[in-house]
Amino acid sequence: MRKATLKGLMAHKLRLAATALAIVLGVSFVSGTYVLTDTITASFDSLFKQVTQGIDVAVRSEETFGGFETGEVRDPMPASLLERIQAVDGVRVAEGSVTGYAQLVGKDGKAVTTGGAPSLGVSFNQDTQFTAGSTVRSGRLPSGPTEMAIDAKTAEDTGYVVGDRAKVLFQGPARDYTVSGIIGFGEADNLGGARLVGFDLATAQEVMNREGRFDEIDVAAEGGVTPEQLRDRIRAAVDPRYEVLTGEELAEDSAAAINDTIGRFLGTALLAFAFVALLVGAFLIFNTFTIIVAQRTRELALLRCLGASRRQVMNSVLLESVIVALVASLVGLGLGVLIASGLKALLSTFLGADIPATGIQFQPRTVIVSLAVGLIVTVLAAVMPARKATRVPPVAALQPETAFAPTGFRKRRIVLGVLITTVGVALLLAGLFRSEGNRLVNVASGAVVVFLGVAVLSPLIARPLARVIGWPFARAFRLPGNLARENAMRNPRRTASTAAALMIGLALVSFVSIFAASIKASTTEILEESVTADYILFNDNFQPFSPEAAERLAEQPQLAAVAGMRFGPWKLDGVGKSLAGIDPVTYQQVVRTEVTDGSFDDLASGGLAVKDTVAESSGWTVGENVAMEFPRTGVEQVPVKAIYEDNSLNGDFLLGLTTYERAYADQADSQILVKAAPGVAPADSRAAIDQVMTDFPNVTVRDQAEFREEQARQIDQIINLFYSLLGLAILIALFGIVNTLGLSIFERIRELGLLRAVGATRRQLRSMIRWEAVIIAVLGAVLGLAVGVFFGWTIVRALASQGITEFTVPAGQLVSFVLAAAIAGILAAVLPGRRAAKIDVLRAITTE
Amino acid sequence: MSAAIVPGDTTETLAARAVQVTKVYGQGQTEVRALDNVSVEFPSGRFTAIMGPSGSGKSTLMHCLAGLDRITSGQIFIGDVELSKLSEKQLTLLRRDKVGFVFQAFNLLPTLTAAENVELPLAIAGRKPDRAWVDRVIDAVGLRERLAHKPAELSGGQQQRVAAARALASKPAIVFADEPTGNLDSAAGAELLGFMRRSVDEYGQTIVMVTHDPNSAAFSDHVLFLADGRIVDEMANPTAEKVLDLMKKLGG
Repeated sequence: MRKATLKGLMAHKLRLAATALAIVLGVSFVSGTYVLTDTITASFDSLFKQVTQGIDVAVRSEETFGGFETGEVRDPMPASLLERIQAVDGVRVAEGSVTGYAQLVGKDGKAVTTGGAPSLGVSFNQDTQFTAGSTVRSGRLPSGPTEMAIDAKTAEDTGYVVGDRAKVLFQGPARDYTVSGIIGFGEADNLGGARLVGFDLATAQEVMNREGRFDEIDVAAEGGVTPEQLRDRIRAAVDPRYEVLTGEELAEDSAAAINDTIGRFLGTALLAFAFVALLVGAFLIFNTFTIIVAQRTRELALLRCLGASRRQVMNSVLLESVIVALVASLVGLGLGVLIASGLKALLSTFLGADIPATGIQFQPRTVIVSLAVGLIVTVLAAVMPARKATRVPPVAALQPETAFAPTGFRKRRIVLGVLITTVGVALLLAGLFRSEGNRLVNVASGAVVVFLGVAVLSPLIARPLARVIGWPFARAFRLPGNLARENAMRNPRRTASTAAALMIGLALVSFVSIFAASIKASTTEILEESVTADYILFNDNFQPFSPEAAERLAEQPQLAAVAGMRFGPWKLDGVGKSLAGIDPVTYQQVVRTEVTDGSFDDLASGGLAVKDTVAESSGWTVGENVAMEFPRTGVEQVPVKAIYEDNSLNGDFLLGLTTYERAYADQADSQILVKAAPGVAPADSRAAIDQVMTDFPNVTVRDQAEFREEQARQIDQIINLFYSLLGLAILIALFGIVNTLGLSIFERIRELGLLRAVGATRRQLRSMIRWEAVIIAVLGAVLGLAVGVFFGWTIVRALASQGITEFTVPAGQLVSFVLAAAIAGILAAVLPGRRAAKIDVLRAITTE
Repeated sequence: MSAAIVPGDTTETLAARAVQVTKVYGQGQTEVRALDNVSVEFPSGRFTAIMGPSGSGKSTLMHCLAGLDRITSGQIFIGDVELSKLSEKQLTLLRRDKVGFVFQAFNLLPTLTAAENVELPLAIAGRKPDRAWVDRVIDAVGLRERLAHKPAELSGGQQQRVAAARALASKPAIVFADEPTGNLDSAAGAELLGFMRRSVDEYGQTIVMVTHDPNSAAFSDHVLFLADGRIVDEMANPTAEKVLDLMKKLGG
């Protein structure tokens, strides 16, 4: 029996090639993701170990605010703490250091940006044990108020060499420094993409608003004292709100911060795409095995006649799937390593992170998960066809072939399909509109279940839909078009499940495009409805910048109102929130806000303004005090001064500037909104702003139209990334069409022979296959569009409170997707069409 | 050697002819001579049967005559067109426009209705059917009632009659039938052969039929007997008994 299976496998290897390819692609994405994230993790682990190698123990403030919502916030430590630590027994030397915002200005006068990593200003330690982690590539470490060192990657990008003078931007005034040295970190040219500007301690403390305070205290132990012993001693000597770590722990913690980002976001995103690819692949596998089993009805029946049990027949089909899965998964595993190296290189350039060269990390987990995923998906997809194989009665071997697949179970299919779809929609809605549970998991699993439900239902509508879609082809291309349409309709299950694979890709693509269009439309809406400012000023890396910019703009007579916005984290009953600090007088001139209770003007003396829905759900009214916990001052009672209607720009909380200045250590604007004075020509007001902003090259100036365009461009960039990743799923679905058509040709060889015998040309046969592929592709695209529009609509509705208020269907784009699917169908038909045209007429009509 | 074709004289027109046709399969040791220097003429408006035991080359002869298979040497003409000079595409078009086929089985496309199957060669050619003619053919095979049915809903005899109607619908110069009654019971077979006979008598259709059944051959005007790739005998105005007798003699 096993031998028969293996022989059968070899005979069908061509037919299984597309199936294998689907598994290969899906698995390679899984293994590639793991290899990539493992490799990056290992790289950063070793990088931070290298950087902290001289540090035995490090002390820093407890993280008061953390997590994705607010970012890491640590309060600086007082200088007196250093003295206390120096007094601890076993401490050879202890030094304080600071870290803050500093951004270099390039030779072109523009601020040097990063790919998303921070621009940091740091101080250098004195003791050689501490500085062992960084390598001075040229020059020397900075000393005195006019010198700085920069990282090697930044030096390379900007062209600065030792001795050059350059401007550095801070939250306070900008200053000029001479490059005294260029530093690296072992092999690496920078730290995970961050731009580093280093000073001596006193300079760093002054320019980064840390006088008399430290962000970190590094400690070296005396001989004979282990880092762990010293850590425990220091821990006992200082207030428990300070974190005391060994150098190793610090390295792990620092690496974890970066690795968390890469692992959680990049890893999850890539695995999600791998999942989509595998889901689409599962449809292909299911389809292939179903067709193969149908075509082998006689062969299987013969085996049954010869005494094979049902179990043996089922096992034979399953064994076939296991072998295909294993071979394909192994190839996918290998391909994943290649993908990982490619992505790593791409990531390095994209993020500007010099990922240190570490050997490709190939962990047992990668192998196990990849093989398991490949096997499970394949075998699951093959189980149903295998069960169908067991139902082949032995007499089928003796009967002429049945021309049509048995139909029936219509009622059961309707009930089952509707049930599954309903469950999927319910899961989706629960994930979107209820706040409990893991919402992302709910939404994702809901989407998958909806796909399955629609796939179950689709054979019911495949025939009428194919009839409609095929109509223009039958009209335009006469006989080949008509035959293509009939062929697409003859086996609705096969047509539907082939199209279903494409449906998934198209649904996700159209969902993404609807989502993007809705975001763009909502942005436009917000800008038009709420923003009366003519100009929006911000930093490309979301780094806050000096309030001096706003102060100097306010002096310009061409400008009527200049409103700086400062953002900050706070906690309400231990839950992280964010707010914007504003000056109500200027703010009201640049942002239109409907106040429902209280008065915005009252914010001038401090206090809080709250969005109406938040106030309502919290039961706050004007005059009431809210217990706000700030990083610097702790819990404060802040009075509610005004309640406003949502305009998607204000956010949930606005804090009067006087309160903000007291509550936060850093005073820097994240955004400035500017309104030109009445009667001033746009060119004049722009010139006035540009002139001031030459001193703040880290701030980008955009008028409303530019801002909108830029937002749209950024969205498009992300969307294009999604498209290219989803392209993989669509590619697999196309393999599915190639496969189904190829198998169908094998099945219809006598029909094709007959057509050729009675005078159909090869071109007509190719054309017939082509239009069948196009009908299937368009069918999948139309189903996908319907599902995608539904997904888009629900998610946009669910995010209405997040500022996505407009539901926009980019009709032109969606139509172009259908056209693209049709063109893809034409491509998918090339090989099967060629094969159909090449059949030997005589053999086709004479073989029994 | 072969009679000259006299233009305009329809009684003497040849629908097809083979001149010293040899067909060899394989090479060297495995060489099989399926047709060995066969010369034969098929006058227009006649019903010719080709008979012979399995492996006698009767099907090969028909395939070569119909342009479905290439010959090794010799010449084949459909009308006055020599097939060996035609490209694959020209052969296809010749089949489409000049030749009709009835195979033993699987004559119809399962996705098309009976009516669509009848008009298939015309649809392939993109020609408008001659309505009156097609209607006449359909009535002659008695399929008026079943035109909207798919092949799966027709009996074997009905399916073959649809195939026969299709073969005639495009008014081909010659119709080739390969064991057309092979899968039919005798009543259905007789019905089909009766129709073929009438199409020769009433419409002047030319038919060449391969069969091994003396009863079928009895419907023809002329029977050719093949054995080992050669024409070994022929008979005009056959009856089942005479054919059977000759077969016994040849076979013995």
